[in-house]
Amino acid sequence: MTEELVIALAVVFVTAGVLSLIANQFGLSPIPFYIIAGLIAGRFVTESEIIVLAQWGIAFLVFAFAIRIDFADVETVLRDAELASATQLIVVAPIAFGVGYLFGDLFGFADPVRNAVYFSAAVVLSSSLVGGVLLGSEIRENLVHGRLASSIHFFDDLVAIALLLILSTEVVTADAIAAQIGYGVVLVISGLVLYRHGFPLLVRLADGDGELVLVGSISILIAFLAAAEYVGVSIVVGAFAAGVAIRSDGTQALEVQNGISSITDFFVAIFFVTVGALVAIPSLEVLVIAATLSALVLALNPLVHVLSFIYEGYDARTAFLAGSSLNQVSEFALIIAIQALLMGTIADPLFDAIILAAAVTMLLTFLGRRTEDVVYETVVARLFRGQRTRKVDERSSVDELEDHVLVVGYGRIGRRIVETLEDNDVPYVVLENDPVLWDELDAECRNYVLGDALAEYPWEKAQIGDAALVCSTVDHRPVSETILELETDADADVLLRSESAAVASDLLEAGATHVAVPNVLAGEQLLATVDALAAGETDPETLEREQRDYFQALERYGFATRDERV
Amino acid sequence: MSEIALAADFAIIVVVATVIGLIARQTGQPTIIAYILTGIILGPVAFDIVTEEGLVELMGDLGFAFLLFLLGLKMRFEDIREILPAVTNVAFGQTVLQTALAFLVALALGFETDEILVISLATVFGATPIIVKILTDKDEITSLPGKIDVGVLIVQDIYLVIVLALFAADDLGGAGDIASTLGVILVMMSFIGIFSLLSSRYILPGLFRRIADNKDVFLIVAIGWAFLFVAIAEGADLDPKVGAFLAGISIAQLPYSKELEDRITPITDFFILVFFATIGLQIDGLSSLLAYWWQAIVASAVLMVGNFWIMFYLIDREGFDVETSFLGSINMVQVSEFSLIVGALAIDQGYIGPDVLGYLSLMALLTMSVSTYIIAYNHAIYERLEPWFARFESDERKDADISTYEGHAIAIGYDEITERALPRLEELYGEVVIIDRQTDHIEELEREGRYEYVFGDFRHTEVRKEANLKGADFVLSSSVEREVNEALLAEVGDDATVFVEAERIDDARTLYDRGATYVIMTSHLAAEKVSEYVELYVTDRDAFEETIARDVERVNAQRRRSADRLENGESVADTDYTPGGEAHD
Repeated sequence: MTEELVIALAVVFVTAGVLSLIANQFGLSPIPFYIIAGLIAGRFVTESEIIVLAQWGIAFLVFAFAIRIDFADVETVLRDAELASATQLIVVAPIAFGVGYLFGDLFGFADPVRNAVYFSAAVVLSSSLVGGVLLGSEIRENLVHGRLASSIHFFDDLVAIALLLILSTEVVTADAIAAQIGYGVVLVISGLVLYRHGFPLLVRLADGDGELVLVGSISILIAFLAAAEYVGVSIVVGAFAAGVAIRSDGTQALEVQNGISSITDFFVAIFFVTVGALVAIPSLEVLVIAATLSALVLALNPLVHVLSFIYEGYDARTAFLAGSSLNQVSEFALIIAIQALLMGTIADPLFDAIILAAAVTMLLTFLGRRTEDVVYETVVARLFRGQRTRKVDERSSVDELEDHVLVVGYGRIGRRIVETLEDNDVPYVVLENDPVLWDELDAECRNYVLGDALAEYPWEKAQIGDAALVCSTVDHRPVSETILELETDADADVLLRSESAAVASDLLEAGATHVAVPNVLAGEQLLATVDALAAGETDPETLEREQRDYFQALERYGFATRDERV
Repeated sequence: MSEIALAADFAIIVVVATVIGLIARQTGQPTIIAYILTGIILGPVAFDIVTEEGLVELMGDLGFAFLLFLLGLKMRFEDIREILPAVTNVAFGQTVLQTALAFLVALALGFETDEILVISLATVFGATPIIVKILTDKDEITSLPGKIDVGVLIVQDIYLVIVLALFAADDLGGAGDIASTLGVILVMMSFIGIFSLLSSRYILPGLFRRIADNKDVFLIVAIGWAFLFVAIAEGADLDPKVGAFLAGISIAQLPYSKELEDRITPITDFFILVFFATIGLQIDGLSSLLAYWWQAIVASAVLMVGNFWIMFYLIDREGFDVETSFLGSINMVQVSEFSLIVGALAIDQGYIGPDVLGYLSLMALLTMSVSTYIIAYNHAIYERLEPWFARFESDERKDADISTYEGHAIAIGYDEITERALPRLEELYGEVVIIDRQTDHIEELEREGRYEYVFGDFRHTEVRKEANLKGADFVLSSSVEREVNEALLAEVGDDATVFVEAERIDDARTLYDRGATYVIMTSHLAAEKVSEYVELYVTDRDAFEETIARDVERVNAQRRRSADRLENGESVADTDYTPGGEAHD
């Protein structure tokens, strides 16, 4: 008995391991490959125990997600995602529902309305796990489209949890739904209470033993799962509430987070492989549904996102890049599907189709990324050309300028430069692409252009031809290269920024006047400080005092409060 | 949704174990005792609400397999090579002498012939999971006594596999059958062992270099690797745990094993809890447990004392010093839960009755509980007894000392920020250890061969231990993550100089509050510098040109350093850097 289980797990992990090697080779997310591993290993993984382990995967997945939530971020997310997500729910969801209902009718599903909801959820929601891998570098570099897309992912995940709460009723009536929501709220509130009082107690009792805190956190998870089942709501809601209860700060945090993330990785792999293994050999109807689902996810979804981003004032490139990284089926759609499968409320062909479409779209989203720039230049840029100039005109304010300084980016460094320029009474214009900063630009800067630094028109608007100096604070190579290209016509001096000395050297060779490399600067300061300390020229107290004074000065000038947006 | 949480016995085990564990923690008892107690309380002895079947058994098995995988991960050949012959001698001597002792004790207590044979074969083993777990928790598994113990346990495990296979074989007609079964087992094991060694040399380095940068893939591939060996061992009718252990050993030889240890540890902790609980669950009921209660107590006492002296004699004979011999032996005094497994098999074959299994269980429980405390307080016990044991001291001792860093400098992250300071730190603190979790950085360091390095994420305890953060005099962190820097400041010694980096002013203040010596703020520094450029540009163009020319040179110099380093390591760093405190003289 156990032997068979061990062998089944061995099959799961060996296939998952081999396929994730392939994923890694091409820089793709391993998740679609886990599903494919399941498709391959399907026949070997049939034990009901493995399905139980897969459900632990779901629980841990949601648990880890909820632990990571920082409620301070929710505001930013709402600001970014509000309109786009609402549009998505109002426009795409009904269309998808209609298509889903048609399929239900056509193939004679038992409960066409419910199946249509599952279909629609699979279309609307996009995957934060896959998106995280996809957008990794963009989020790190703090590019606007990366932030936008991850906000939408986050919003989608919350929507999914709410949806799971409602869908865990067998019979959908207003009363039942109200009861579900009530239980859900009670669970989350108990999670919050535990966050305040229970978890700190656990940490105190464990008395520095990280293993006990970890096991205790898992016990909290189990308790919430049990409570959720007892009142008949989805375990996902229980896992979410349990995650809320776990503190992600404090000295124990690192160890607990590491622990949970390892255990999560272990079970999540089992989950995705099992999901793949549950798919039967696809019939024609499965293929038709899967193809339609994929088409909707790959085309309709991004289209609506792009349009709503543009409506919100983002430039076409940001809107396109953000929209095109939202075109995959969410892992939460898989959870919804598997939960429905266990409840027996989803039609088998639809279940298979959702899983297949998830694997396909998760893969295609990466491939799409490779061709993104080409697609943008050949299709999107042309479509929106008129709109682009009009929009830039609308949201910019520039006087006639000559011999001015053109500042690219209005982050921490940008602000300092503007300050310096105003002090010296030199004409300047700021070029920025984040509409969130528009109010501030309008209030603080004499001249600004809100637009895409990779497009030509904003530069024209900023009168680069007459500029004496272009000073870019954006550490993004394409932007730097665009500036150098434009500069050859404009004949201005160019100051750039770059993360590494190697890139900086290339840029210098390409004609930049200078490239600031913050890391090199920091390295120098560091060396000087080490030397000064070693030679006894200064002592830690003095250093600390000086720094604290400096921070105060920065704050007085208002450079610190806006930090988080840089 | 199905009733996963409520129906799964193991969920109950986890919750109860947490509660008992927390209580145990308050009273200073080891968590293992709490876990075993959980099994006894939930099992047939008390409430009988949990059975050791299906998932529970699977998770228990997984726990043990992961523990051995982890143990394998810690076994670096270079670390144990020097003590290997000694360990082999000890292990063989111990097996023979302890079997003899157990035989005599059982004979004296009046058991029947078959029973005596089973008992003596079953009580030889040390309890691998207990010893490994407690020593790991105490951070002593890689100390010299720890290594000797682990070495002996491994030899025992091989012996165990053989004993198990012999008991499991349906009819052993005569010496011929026994010999052929033994032959098959040995051949299989050597095949797997050789495969593990070959792969650690030829397959794994390239494979893991590619994936080590990707946290998730790294973990899953490593687990897949372990399961591959488990499946092979299972297919060859061997104990799957031996497969897990060999898989661990083959990865241990790579520079990435520390990082992996830290990722595997929580999974092990989670499952091993279930494993320890299953020990308690296996006991059939009070009556059979207490059938031979006084014999069990007498035998436990005799065996614990006897085993200690056998081990002490053997280790001491190999020329280790008294403290090492003492600690190495006192860790090994218990009877393992393997005796239950051997006993269970013997019942199946009809060699013994359930009462003898009860006797074995009680003995295992007694000795394991007592030895848990003994291992936990092994140093304190030695201090008490040291004067008396001093008589075994002799002059020629050959203890291999295990080197650790002390009074050194640590750099977290090998990048453009830290690298310029490294030569100076080496000069000031003698030794520089770099912690980095990017394979290409580590390879660069390896090629260069100038600084010590640890591959891994600084968030992980194991990685921090390896670099001996507590003993460092200077720590330089180029991570801007506040949790990382806070953990660093919490762990580092009070007198150490700590340079950290921060992104936000609030973070920087917090870090100063927690004792940072200096907080580098790259973005503000860059803002300062760039606005300086711009100011010069609009006020004094000549000064601007001059500053720019100088700084451009610096950037190019940095680039050249990186580029040269990539081509041919060490010579560059020496020639390019002006030694001594000239910079500020």
